[in-house]
Amino acid sequence: MKRVKDIDPGLSVRSLAAFEQERRILSDLGNDITGVRDKNDLIILFSKRIKSLFYFTHTIVTLIDAKDETYTPFLLDHESSPIRSHAQYPELIKAHFSLNEPFIRAALRAEEPISFLLEDIMDQPQSPSFLRANYEAGVKEILMTRLMKEGKPMGFIHIYSDKPNSFSIEFRNVIKGIAPQLSGAVSNIIKNEEILKKEQEKSLLLDFSNDIATGRTKEELAFAVRAVLKKINPPGGFVIRRINEDNTTMSPYAYDLTKTHDPKVINALEQARYPINDGLQDRVLNSAIPLLFNVDREIQRGITSSYLQHWKTMGFKEIVGIRLRNGETNHGILFLDIQEINVQLLQGICSQISIALANIMANEQIHKKQEEQAFLLDFSSDIAQVRTKADLQAAIFRVLDKTMHTQLSMIRTIDEDGYNMSPFMYDETLFERAKKHFAELLAHRVTVDEIYTADVLTSEDGLVFNIEEELKSGNSYARLWETTGLKNVYGLPLRVGNKNIGTIWLLADRLSKLMLKGICAQISIAIANIQANEKLLAYKKQLEVENDYLKEQIKTIYNFSEIIGNGQQMQKVYRLMSLVAGSNTTVLILGETGTGKELIARAIHNASLRKDKLMVKVNCAALPANLIESELFGHERGSFTGAIDRRIGKFELANNSTLFLDEVGELPPEAQAKLLRVIQERELERLGGKQTIKVDVRLIAATNRNLEEEVKAGRFRADLYFRLNVFPISLPSLRERPEDIEPLTHFFVKKYGRNTGRKIRKVAPKVIQQLLSYTWPGNVRELEHLIERSILLTPDDILRDVYIPENTATDKQDLTHLLNHSLEEVERSYIIEILRRCSGKISGPGSAAEILKIPGNTLHSKLKKLGITKKDYFG
Amino acid sequence: MKIVVIGGSGLIGTKVVAHLRQAGHQVIAASPATGINTITGDGLAEAMSDTDVVVDLANSPSWEDQAVMDFFQTSGRNLLAAEINAGVKHHVALSIVGVDIMQNIGYMRAKKAQEDLIRQSGVPYTIIRSTQFLEFLKGIADQATDGNEVHLSDVRFQPIAADDVAAFVAKYAVAAPLNGKVEIAGPERFAMYEVVAQYLRHANDPRKVVPNGKPLYYGGEISHAALVPVGQAELGTINFEKWWSNQLQKA
Repeated sequence: MKRVKDIDPGLSVRSLAAFEQERRILSDLGNDITGVRDKNDLIILFSKRIKSLFYFTHTIVTLIDAKDETYTPFLLDHESSPIRSHAQYPELIKAHFSLNEPFIRAALRAEEPISFLLEDIMDQPQSPSFLRANYEAGVKEILMTRLMKEGKPMGFIHIYSDKPNSFSIEFRNVIKGIAPQLSGAVSNIIKNEEILKKEQEKSLLLDFSNDIATGRTKEELAFAVRAVLKKINPPGGFVIRRINEDNTTMSPYAYDLTKTHDPKVINALEQARYPINDGLQDRVLNSAIPLLFNVDREIQRGITSSYLQHWKTMGFKEIVGIRLRNGETNHGILFLDIQEINVQLLQGICSQISIALANIMANEQIHKKQEEQAFLLDFSSDIAQVRTKADLQAAIFRVLDKTMHTQLSMIRTIDEDGYNMSPFMYDETLFERAKKHFAELLAHRVTVDEIYTADVLTSEDGLVFNIEEELKSGNSYARLWETTGLKNVYGLPLRVGNKNIGTIWLLADRLSKLMLKGICAQISIAIANIQANEKLLAYKKQLEVENDYLKEQIKTIYNFSEIIGNGQQMQKVYRLMSLVAGSNTTVLILGETGTGKELIARAIHNASLRKDKLMVKVNCAALPANLIESELFGHERGSFTGAIDRRIGKFELANNSTLFLDEVGELPPEAQAKLLRVIQERELERLGGKQTIKVDVRLIAATNRNLEEEVKAGRFRADLYFRLNVFPISLPSLRERPEDIEPLTHFFVKKYGRNTGRKIRKVAPKVIQQLLSYTWPGNVRELEHLIERSILLTPDDILRDVYIPENTATDKQDLTHLLNHSLEEVERSYIIEILRRCSGKISGPGSAAEILKIPGNTLHSKLKKLGITKKDYFG
Repeated sequence: MKIVVIGGSGLIGTKVVAHLRQAGHQVIAASPATGINTITGDGLAEAMSDTDVVVDLANSPSWEDQAVMDFFQTSGRNLLAAEINAGVKHHVALSIVGVDIMQNIGYMRAKKAQEDLIRQSGVPYTIIRSTQFLEFLKGIADQATDGNEVHLSDVRFQPIAADDVAAFVAKYAVAAPLNGKVEIAGPERFAMYEVVAQYLRHANDPRKVVPNGKPLYYGGEISHAALVPVGQAELGTINFEKWWSNQLQKA
């Protein structure tokens, strides 16, 4: 102040000019300063302009940090600094100096720039160390000027000089004048830096967003994350951990651990599943803000997760953990090897990672689903080609192994009775360790009411049984399941439409529900197809059998479209047939052999309501006693030696039709009993079978035996006889209806003439006479065969000769009939009988004499003697 | 010791910071203005680094029930999580006398939630429950003014000077954690309307205090004894008269 007063007039002109210059410089500086955006430019510009006016060595600007009441260098003019080579320089330019000491408090209090001689203050106990450093570099004096902002001190301009008394009043005035502009410029720079930083962050985030948006895979995500983190923290590594599907553990998902190349450590980290609630991961997941933690401290805290130890050996000291979260769902954690947390930036990055992670996981899920669907499709085409159980088994085993990495435990199908469940398919190799136990359970009969089966069958999509829990609850299967070492049992219903057809049991730790459902649907259809196929084969077999019968019967049986004979006896038969045909009544056809019993039976069947189905014939006499039961009732596979396949019995075959039991009198007693039961109950069981089969069969039995006598003799069951003898039809012997012999002869001549390719125009009257005179023990069948033979032996187109067998054995019946008469009576009736058959012809070819092998005259005399007149034999 | 004072630029915060700095501690006055934000987490981890004691004096910028609750819960969670990570050895928080019996008031529920978070955090702690500050008297009068009358309750009231509060907080901050609560109050007990009337008289305020007998505080009904300590409490040394003269000196 004193100097100003002492200014002499001579000097005042100069000082006026100086003042003008000062003013100009200040205004230029002011203009420049306000334009400056870079902080180094600012201090260099400031320093240069002031130096053009006054002498000083260098200047710096320090800023106050309000939070801990310190100040720290902000603008530095490195080039001019005499202490640049000082050992403490790098430390000093970053240091925070306390505002709580006399030197700086004096500067804070001073409204005007205030100067200090370093010598005076630098050794005060609390003085900042930069004072001494400057002194050591030759600086003598320091001028401190407050920078104010909104009425509060924001920092200081430090001006240093190595010459004492450098800070003139003009100098001080200039500095005081420029200080507000400098404050404004510094504030601008700070704001500018903030804006720049924010912009950089934003463009960083934007770039990252672009990178990450194009990424579809884990690798691309890792790449993008690595790129962005390299920008904000070049040396650091990172790991993204993802919450596993079990929701209780986390595993590394993507990482960049530059600090280790030890494959063992990397492998250990990669494979690990760390429990979420390990005391650290849960803290990060529960924290809305990034958490910075110290590895050593966490280990001391007692967190035992192995990754901390690995981090420690890798040399990580501090790690930042940030949860990756989408909406309210945590997906994982990003761990960063970084010292400084820029919350906004990290959260920006993490929200991008979270979205990307969610996308990638969704993508992976879709991919997995697609893969599963592709497998299902393959499986479907595999299944479509399946025709047999063996094929199906191969397909199922393949798909389970390939796509689900599991094995089939058991498929059971519901039997036809809808109650029992038979094992259909199983994989014994799954129970290697419990073969005996498995075999026991296999032998155990399972029904749809069995508790686990019932639960599975009534469930919508099947059930999952936890083996451990089932063990506790005492499930008898659990001990078997346990031997596989797997966690869960999946029991699913096999359904076609709404119909349960069986159950499938799988053992695994975890199975995809979609896959299971898909596979089960396919297996269900395949099983249904196979079952249908089996049924089809059975039907086919049945048809083949029926066809065989048909062919056989066409071959061996008369053409039954018509029955020849209009005699009185036959008329009686026809009447009975027409009476009984329409009903379901059992018919017993009696008659000598060859009288056409089967023909009558067929005629009855064909006249009945059952005519659309084939009549099934069983010749009871033609079968060995040991096979007759199986023939009648069928048998299950393996029910006796040689029963290699299931066989349908004749009764089943004749369901809804007619069963013709020919020669029923020959039926062995055991078969009789069974037959009786079938007739009574209208149901039967196959040999070796357990289930009963309902049948609706009309019976026609036939025999040439006298059943009443058989009953008396104990060879035929009386009760069966009564059951069969509901509606007896007795067929007359050919002997009893000689009037039909001629039409029958013509019929057979025509039939066999056609069959043999011979045209027989005529039958000689002599032949007819011969035929009429024969007793026909073999009845119509004998006549037919005789004609057949005769046609073959006839040289031309007239049937002149028939070869009636000689020495025909007399009917036993006749014999017994004769036994009660005298010789004369027998002789008389016998001759009458012969004459009757020979149409009264006494001598010549086809005459009675010929049959009796006596001369004609002898016969004549015998007739006279016995009093036989024409009336007797033409009566 | 390194001590972080959350809300270090507020009424009590500045005084506590000054006290602790005076005692030679390294003190960080944390507030959004100094770049430390307990809601966003900005600067929190860095501030906590090597910190021994955290004093939480933060207050909600909003008085609306849900906002207050969100503020104290978020702030508390973030702060305590950062403290756990940094290994902070003592958490000191300022709460309110009677906070647990005034749960019908949203602000009290939020303060209680803050206390509960502290108790459950595992960080050693001291909760200081204070009565209302003498500095609130003008505000209490203003919000109860109807024309020229101030209608006020006769609930018991034992206001404490902010300087006393700051001294207590600073004292407990450097003491061993209580892992419990301590109550502080002013040296004199009044009916609420009395002390407000006294204040208006001293301030030459023409408004007239009318006692109404309704035990209301912050719009909620409270018991007459809710605002004063029940058992033993630490009492401040600055009574109304002394406080008033201090005010005059500062002005």
